[in-house]
Amino acid sequence: MSRLSKSFPVRLSSTILFITSILFLTAIMIVSYFSHKMIGEEAVKNASNVLNTTTRDINMILGKIETSVTNMEWIVYEHREDTNYMYHITRELVKQNSEIVGSSIAFVANYFPGTYYFAPYSYIDSSTDSIISKQLGNKDYDYFNMEWFTQPYVSKKKHWSLPYYDEGGGQMLMTTFSFPLFDKKGELYAIITADIDLLWLDKKITSLGPYVNSMTFLLSQDGKYISGTHSALTKQPDIFKMADSVQNYRLRILGKNMISGDSGTLRIRNDKDISFAVYGPLMNGWSTAIISPYRDVFAYSLRMNLIIIIVSAFGLFLLFIFCFRIVRMLTQPITEFSVAALNMAKGNFQARLPQINTQDEMRQLYDSFRYMQRSITHYISELRTTTAENERFESELNIARNIQMSMVPREFPERDDVSVHAFLRPAKEVGGDFYDFLIKDDVLYFVIGDVSGKGVPAALVMSIVRAAFRFLGGVNLTIDQMICKINDTISRRNDSIMFVTLFAGKIDLKTGEMYYCNAGHNPMIICHADGRTEYMKPLPNIAVGIFDDFKYKPEQTVLEKGCRLILYTDGVTEAEDELKKQFGEDRLLEFASKLTPEQQSEEVVHNLIQEVKDFTKDADQNDDITILSILLNDIKS
Amino acid sequence: MNVKITKEDNKYSVVVEGRVDTTNAEQFQQHLAPLMQAQNAEINIDCSALDYTSSQGLRSFLVLQKSTMSHGSNLTLFNMQPQVKEVFDITGFSNIIRIV
Repeated sequence: MSRLSKSFPVRLSSTILFITSILFLTAIMIVSYFSHKMIGEEAVKNASNVLNTTTRDINMILGKIETSVTNMEWIVYEHREDTNYMYHITRELVKQNSEIVGSSIAFVANYFPGTYYFAPYSYIDSSTDSIISKQLGNKDYDYFNMEWFTQPYVSKKKHWSLPYYDEGGGQMLMTTFSFPLFDKKGELYAIITADIDLLWLDKKITSLGPYVNSMTFLLSQDGKYISGTHSALTKQPDIFKMADSVQNYRLRILGKNMISGDSGTLRIRNDKDISFAVYGPLMNGWSTAIISPYRDVFAYSLRMNLIIIIVSAFGLFLLFIFCFRIVRMLTQPITEFSVAALNMAKGNFQARLPQINTQDEMRQLYDSFRYMQRSITHYISELRTTTAENERFESELNIARNIQMSMVPREFPERDDVSVHAFLRPAKEVGGDFYDFLIKDDVLYFVIGDVSGKGVPAALVMSIVRAAFRFLGGVNLTIDQMICKINDTISRRNDSIMFVTLFAGKIDLKTGEMYYCNAGHNPMIICHADGRTEYMKPLPNIAVGIFDDFKYKPEQTVLEKGCRLILYTDGVTEAEDELKKQFGEDRLLEFASKLTPEQQSEEVVHNLIQEVKDFTKDADQNDDITILSILLNDIKS
Repeated sequence: MNVKITKEDNKYSVVVEGRVDTTNAEQFQQHLAPLMQAQNAEINIDCSALDYTSSQGLRSFLVLQKSTMSHGSNLTLFNMQPQVKEVFDITGFSNIIRIV
């Protein structure tokens, strides 16, 4: 899992999922904020509409009742002397209006002379459902002190009484509409009333609530609950006591606004939730209100939000799956590339690359990869060839060098009469210097040479020369015969045109007699016992290996006691310093001329090597350096 | 080391400049390759600017000499500096190659 969770598709998909989630959440929050606001406003509007419709309905009924009653004004006036007709009018009012359950026409005191109380009254007897008429006023029912009479009597205006429970007929909640009647002179002579059963109103009000937990109520002019569901909670008689009991200041404001006849909306907060109240007055001075908790209002939208979130979550999950699959599909080649790269790192340069059919960055990667594969393959194969060549070359050089170094003697004779010493300092690459000597029957044979050419062929030539030298020294040939033989041997089969410059000599140690032959080699230096030091200019013989049958001419001289010979190859005279200046023959001659007779050959050779080293300093040695020195300490005869 | 070859009819004029040593002798021989193919030609090498030649360089001259001989051509070196002439003398090359 930890491996998977780090994979590119998972990371990319997670990132996309994360960002999308944030966008979704933000969108949902914004939408829900505005929809919340809109729904809230809509709810208020809706509740107001419900309230307004209801208020209008109630007002219409109340208006109808008022009209029905006030329409009786002229009839009562026309028939005011006919007491029986008064009863008839009240009966008709009750009969014609379903909401009116009782009606009376209460005349002022002594309107009919001798009759203090006169108030014909008709009402529906609920037990028999018939209309019963009677005269209402007597000393037990002194209607002159009743609110329904006194209020319009004093104010000379129509009046709706506070709601009350009728004690006579079946504990019904009632209200009474009173309307004053005036004669031609403007004197108030009677009050006509209609008793209204408030059951319908109660039903209308309680059924108002637009939401499950809506509370509705009707308040009287003094704030008393007339009907509704609000009072049921606390059994408080009016809204102010109610507000006190739940300690809600806003509810008190609502009450105040309502009894002052205003309409509007108000937010009310209690410890459980926030509600809003819409309220408005009725035509009779009462007021209705609907209080609805917002949680009802938003229950639907919350449910909607929940559904949106669930659907979104599911959608996001699908998005993640799709993303993951698509990205994995798109990046599959990368995985395969990395496998290929790993294989290449292990040395398989032909590692299979994924198939790419698109013309995109993946294709570029493929092309680059392919190019890299080819380049590396090419490079490796080239490197193999060069390395092999170099190795071959190196090993050949080493072989040649080994052959060369194994052929030069490293041990020197310890004799009183002659001091022989030589040294070969090989260059890094090219060089075919060699030297050799042997003493047989008091005769010293010596040779020094330089093969032009390199590698094994040069080394082989060198070995031929040496073998010939060793062999011919044994069979007592003259020096020039020896060189001619060597020349014939080499030049006959010399396809690569190599040549050897060499100087060979033979000294009879008993007499100091020397025969020598120079085949194109550097002239030797001779230091005479009397101090003269000079180059011995040789005959112009050509180097060995160029023309067969060349007649090499020998030379002869006699050496005195204390005579010194210094032989060398061009590695000494052509040794260069860093400015390409050569060591030169003059410098060599100067070195030789400073030697004293006591200096034995070993010292001379080492001093000369050191001299050359001091001259070249750090410059590369580009040719072998070979020095052979012979000093005749004694001559017997 | 620098080799310039100009050809006129069957006459080659060659100018060799600088040093021929162990490091560039093979290169030098490659420069001389066209001369070795020439048939019955007159080959003149101006050595006035040749400062030094090692035994490897001598070998290249020798190779050239052998091939010109087998192709019926004539090789001549001229204007050789004294120290270079000395090398040719010591090795006996002056006896084989025409130097004027």
